Amino acid sequence: MFQYDFMQHAFIAGTLIAIMCGVIGVFIIARSLSFVAHTISHIGFAGAAFAAYAGIDPLVGLLAFTLAGSVGVGQMGVRMFRRDASISVILSLALGLGILFLSLGNIQGNYSRTLLFGSVVGIDLQDIWQIVAITLFVLIALCAGYRWLKFDSFDQVGAQAAGLPIRWISIGFLLLMAVATSVTIQIVGALLVFSLMTVPAAAARLYTQSIFGMILLSSLIAVLSVWFGLVSGYYTNAPVSFFIVAFDAVSYFLGIIYHRLMERRRAVA
Amino acid sequence: MLRRVQINDLQVSFNGEEILKDLSLDVSPGQMYAIIGPNGAGKSTLLKSILGLIHPQHGEIVLSCDQKKPVIGYVPQSRVIDDDMPICARDFISLGQVSSFFPWPSRREKRILHEMMIFTDTDRLAKKPVGKLSGGERQRVFLAQALVRHPDLLLLDESTANLDPDAQTRMMELVKKAVHEWGVTVLFICHDFQMVRAYADHILLMTRGYYKTGDVQSILDDQAMLKNVFQSSFDEGVTHHEGSASSGLSVSASSR
Ligand SMILES: Nc1ncnc2c1ncn2[C@@H]1O[C@H](COP(=O)(O)OP(=O)(O)O)[C@@H](O)[C@H]1O
Ligand SMILES: [Mg+2]
Repeated sequence: MFQYDFMQHAFIAGTLIAIMCGVIGVFIIARSLSFVAHTISHIGFAGAAFAAYAGIDPLVGLLAFTLAGSVGVGQMGVRMFRRDASISVILSLALGLGILFLSLGNIQGNYSRTLLFGSVVGIDLQDIWQIVAITLFVLIALCAGYRWLKFDSFDQVGAQAAGLPIRWISIGFLLLMAVATSVTIQIVGALLVFSLMTVPAAAARLYTQSIFGMILLSSLIAVLSVWFGLVSGYYTNAPVSFFIVAFDAVSYFLGIIYHRLMERRRAVA
Repeated sequence: MLRRVQINDLQVSFNGEEILKDLSLDVSPGQMYAIIGPNGAGKSTLLKSILGLIHPQHGEIVLSCDQKKPVIGYVPQSRVIDDDMPICARDFISLGQVSSFFPWPSRREKRILHEMMIFTDTDRLAKKPVGKLSGGERQRVFLAQALVRHPDLLLLDESTANLDPDAQTRMMELVKKAVHEWGVTVLFICHDFQMVRAYADHILLMTRGYYKTGDVQSILDDQAMLKNVFQSSFDEGVTHHEGSASSGLSVSASSR
């Protein structure tokens, strides 16, 4: 299957994006931002639809909408956002706007499907470079801010007491999430970004109690799921996204069983 | 090492309610200073003001150190430990190491982490999830996280509350050892007068609008004053209770 350019491209792009999602996901879970991530991906959908309607580069539309969206979330205060109903309001509004732009622009159903469900076959060389640049940017930013982000995500009280600028850390992280979401939407679609960003991380924390271990395992699960998805999709012609999500879900449920077993062993010991 | 902690005419209010008013305090370096007083007196508020988490309306807090910015270690009164995010004690302690931007720890940081875990006797808990630790173990982990930063000033907010007597003594012995080994200055809030008597060099007794500092004997032996300070808040509690009973809500109040 590697004789085809499009499969090579899909593997390169998919692997990079999986690593990025796996790493950032650990912090999304630790900061209880799954629903914010979900909302930002829908805002991204609106952005991409707007780009199609206005005839601009989809990445520009995605970035503009998701960055503005995450600043908005930051302003409203993440804490309130976690429980409040406003999240569903914004999510629905974004979805509605996306549908509006698609219809205004008279966009074909094909493109709408790609936006929502993703497409791994249409990735050209230029897209690859874009993806390389953006994932590297996100990963380097996460590395540079690692200690602060880690402290604030896993022990906010401690981080605040140690004098870390927790408000800026929070906003910085939301912006990174926006960038990561924008690049990921183009490959896996708006509906599944959320799963690639949260399910591997949620699974990883069931297997290990070390933060670095969670990051490694989460990216590993994400990468394996993408590879599994691409290979299975190639041979069966069923949607790649289905296999990706199925793999992640299985690792999550196996994780729950493993976690239970360990708890029981600990209780006996 | 810390040269001095001085608080002058501190005033803090929330929504117009004055919690701290004209509070002044002078702490010598290397001291263990106990803060006692009834609930709601503003003890935690005082520590948070020293940390800079609360901005006082008036007054100043002076911390000075030789040739560097003073580092404050803080063990807060309450901390949400999410059972869903079971990170191990070792990682939780190392969160405190934020003086570098490298993602991985240096050899020196690893050594310090190891030393502090031996010091606080948390090394055998290293791999256990923090959420699964006992109260005493948890407090030692929190203390270790504060100590890896090599604080000049250590603020402990009821760190021995809810611990059994053995665990209380163990915790306070650790704090005392930190004072001896690194010359840390300690402010600790504590409700147990026995602990205060055993470990404090000085005491700040506080209730709303009334502050008294002195050595251990002069404060703890003044039974009349202690009774006065603690009784008044106790009376409030009784009145409150009677109030809810007379309004016919005694059943729901007691079932809560
Ligand atoms: N952030 C805050 N906003 C409003 N009121 C507060 C805040 N923090 C503390 N208070 C009030 O200040 C008073 C003193 O609180 P605190 O310092 O926690 O008392 P203590 O630690 O002595 O029990 C309490 O009545 C509390 O309700
Ligand atoms: Mg308090």
